[in-house]
Amino acid sequence: MTNAVVDVHNLEKTYGKAGERPYTALKGLNFSVAEGEFVGIMGASGSGKTTLLNMLSTLDTPTNGDVIVNGHDVTKMRGNQLADFRAQEVGFIFQDFNLLESLTAEENIGLPLALKGTASRVMDQAIHQVAETLSITDLLKKYPAQLSGGQKQRVAAARAIVHQPAILMGDEPTGALDSTSARELLDLLTTINQEQQMSVLLVTHDPFSASFCQRILFIKDGQIGSELRRDDQDRRTFYQQILTELGTFSE
Amino acid sequence: MLTKLALAGVKNRRRDYLVLLAGLTMSAAIFYMFANLATNQAFIKANAVVQSASIVFGFGAVLLALITVVYIMYANSFLLSMRQHDYGLFMMLGAKRKRVGELVFLETLILGTVATVVGILLGILASKFLVGFLLDRLGLHLSHLVSFYLPAVLFTAVLYVGLFILASLFNLMRLMRTTVQNLLHADQQANQPKVRPVRQFIAGLLGLALVAVGYWAMAAIEQLKLTAIPLALVTITLGTYLIFHATVLAVIRGLRRTKWARKHLNGFLLGQLNFRVHDYTRMLTIVSLLFAMALGAITVGSGYHRQMPLVADSLGDYSVAIHNPNAQQKHWMGQLDLAHQATYTQKVVGQTTYYNAAELKRTPYQQQKYSNKTNATPKFYTESLAKFKKSGSQSMNFIVLNPNKLGDFKAPKIVSAAAFARLNGKTYTVTTLRVKHLANDLETLGKLSKSEQRRFPAPHDGSLVVGTYESYQMMNGVFGGLEFIGYFLGIAFLAMLASCLMFKILSGAPGDLRRYAMLNKIGVRRSLMRGGLAKEIGILFAIPGIMGIVDVLFGLQMFKPLMSAPMSPYLGIGTTFAIFIGLYVIYYLITLGLYLNLVMPSETLQD
Ligand SMILES: Nc1ncnc2c1ncn2[C@@H]1O[C@H](COP(=O)(O)OP(=O)(O)O)[C@@H](O)[C@H]1O
Ligand SMILES: [Mg+2]
Repeated sequence: MTNAVVDVHNLEKTYGKAGERPYTALKGLNFSVAEGEFVGIMGASGSGKTTLLNMLSTLDTPTNGDVIVNGHDVTKMRGNQLADFRAQEVGFIFQDFNLLESLTAEENIGLPLALKGTASRVMDQAIHQVAETLSITDLLKKYPAQLSGGQKQRVAAARAIVHQPAILMGDEPTGALDSTSARELLDLLTTINQEQQMSVLLVTHDPFSASFCQRILFIKDGQIGSELRRDDQDRRTFYQQILTELGTFSE
Repeated sequence: MLTKLALAGVKNRRRDYLVLLAGLTMSAAIFYMFANLATNQAFIKANAVVQSASIVFGFGAVLLALITVVYIMYANSFLLSMRQHDYGLFMMLGAKRKRVGELVFLETLILGTVATVVGILLGILASKFLVGFLLDRLGLHLSHLVSFYLPAVLFTAVLYVGLFILASLFNLMRLMRTTVQNLLHADQQANQPKVRPVRQFIAGLLGLALVAVGYWAMAAIEQLKLTAIPLALVTITLGTYLIFHATVLAVIRGLRRTKWARKHLNGFLLGQLNFRVHDYTRMLTIVSLLFAMALGAITVGSGYHRQMPLVADSLGDYSVAIHNPNAQQKHWMGQLDLAHQATYTQKVVGQTTYYNAAELKRTPYQQQKYSNKTNATPKFYTESLAKFKKSGSQSMNFIVLNPNKLGDFKAPKIVSAAAFARLNGKTYTVTTLRVKHLANDLETLGKLSKSEQRRFPAPHDGSLVVGTYESYQMMNGVFGGLEFIGYFLGIAFLAMLASCLMFKILSGAPGDLRRYAMLNKIGVRRSLMRGGLAKEIGILFAIPGIMGIVDVLFGLQMFKPLMSAPMSPYLGIGTTFAIFIGLYVIYYLITLGLYLNLVMPSETLQD
């Protein structure tokens, strides 16, 4: 595979402080994501999806193994490097939105740019461009408390991509949304992926969300159990295929 | 089961509870100490110094009680902010509202009772050591100062437990009225205060006007008498509130539109402040007043004491007067840096002390010229003998020169040398000594004064003070008492204001915990987060601090009549201010440390 944005080798994660019974959530995981790919990671609840995403985004450190994101060896980073990596290389959408309620939507979206010290005018331009892409221009002056779940998640998505990260990661971003909003968000992610060639890594346990991906990795027992490719199938067919896979997968 | 769950919740937040309990305990201890001093009749009656300051004590006690009420209010809201999520969860899990209500009530009450009991014990201990130590340092020896005084214990207990019962009821009501959803997500709701520019502008102007009235009232205390204090208290409180209400928010809004706001975490900082200041306006007002009172009390108290040497040289005609000096006393006299010395022969016949006119003609008696010029060095003058017979010889300073120290006396008489020789009575000499600067010769003067008092004791109905040295000692006692009260109240106010602020700020911690976790996730450097927090809390400390200092600068006007020239309430306030601000900064750092501990996300997800 050429030009991998994410490259994971033998990733292991064991939880548990000294004196507690250790629990190994990830047991030697291997996979990679190519530039511009839209990859889904599926697995039952507790299978280690969030753990994996935390390792990729440097929110937590692996016990063993290598994680390379956009050419950076994440496991070797320390302190400010970690923060800067998160601020510059990845965009993140969370299940619970993670918007700062003391800031307006606009200020929330601008935050990653402000952190970089971007000039005010450039910032305005970037914010308005991304707001247009996600059709949230009329929401910019509002506070999160004044937004619906779907609107919040779109603002969060705008914040995640405004600084042009190498990869956009989402941890069950549709988890707290109703089906219409979920669908809108997934369509948006697809648009972002296709129009901006941004790599997307979507973690979900929901087959419908997964059916928007090009490739799906299934986690089981702390490892990648199997893989599905959408290729030229339409979404509905792919959805059926996922359901079938899940059926056999869980047995 | 529910009790078990509640206990587990408390256990999880041990540290927060410790902070809360420590604050409440300290407040109860301070209150007990003060109540002990203010209500202990035996102690008050036995000490003239305290009696004269009893108004100050009473005023202090009322203020302290008021502040305690406010303090417990904030402590309670801190408690509620810690617990409401748990309570909400219990209800969501199906616990009956009534049952949860009982739990809330009990928890508040138990916490309050523990704090009160421990606080009173601590107060008794502190009374024994701390108060004694403070008094000692100020050179005051007050009798009948006991550390355990039952009425004070009861007073403190009733006030505190009473307040906690109120607080429990308040919590109960809050809980009964709020929906489970709101309890669970209370810290996630952002109330964006509305801005009404015209109204705010008017409010700001009104606030300024009110504060101006308050400042004027304090300066005009001589005309307004006692009404000045309540007038100033009310107008300044209201005015400060209105000013904060009008300006702080407007300034933050203004800043938010600037480019500066779009760099790093500045926007977040402003957002946070915008979000909080409204909610904080009332508290900032109270804290700024407390700050002013604490600083004012300490400044005035220590100002009196510090400035005593300034007036010491203008207290009378001579520093000490020694009868029939012996060799030791003569030796001491030699050590003084004298400005003037005179020796007169006295004959005591019955109740009358006679002086020799010839002697008084040779070395006329020097009297102090009273002036009310600021910082004037005292001037001395002499009168012709004839004039002196009529006026100077009848002044208190001259009269108390008799060896009897005013006990059983008649006005002194000055007679011709011949008549003096003829008199049949006991003969003494008296040497009056005036040093250049009292403050420089205190030690030797003390020895002289003591030996004079031993050799020629004043009878029971005699004068307590002879000469400026003894006046100085007495005033030192009175002002030392004032200083003590000043320090005591000042420290008490400071302690309470700082923990009010601390509780209020710490109440915001659960919400900030999430916010900073979010910032951490989107890649904000830890140093940036720490800096942001330091700024945010720093601003919340600085606003009332600045307002408080301004209040004090104007408020000191009130003491101008009391501290007449060459004293001035403004003299040497720099050091006092510096020490006080130093203490305040320490409180800030402690709060910041606690806050960082509470809200900074750990480096990795595992802690
Ligand atoms: N901080 C932690 N400490 C201990 N165990 C954890 C921690 N985080 C997750 N786990 C455990 O690791 C496993 C995987 O969790 P997670 O990655 O959150 O699963 P998923 O996101 O797929 O539902 C679970 O069994 C969970 O209990
Ligand atoms: Mg998960």
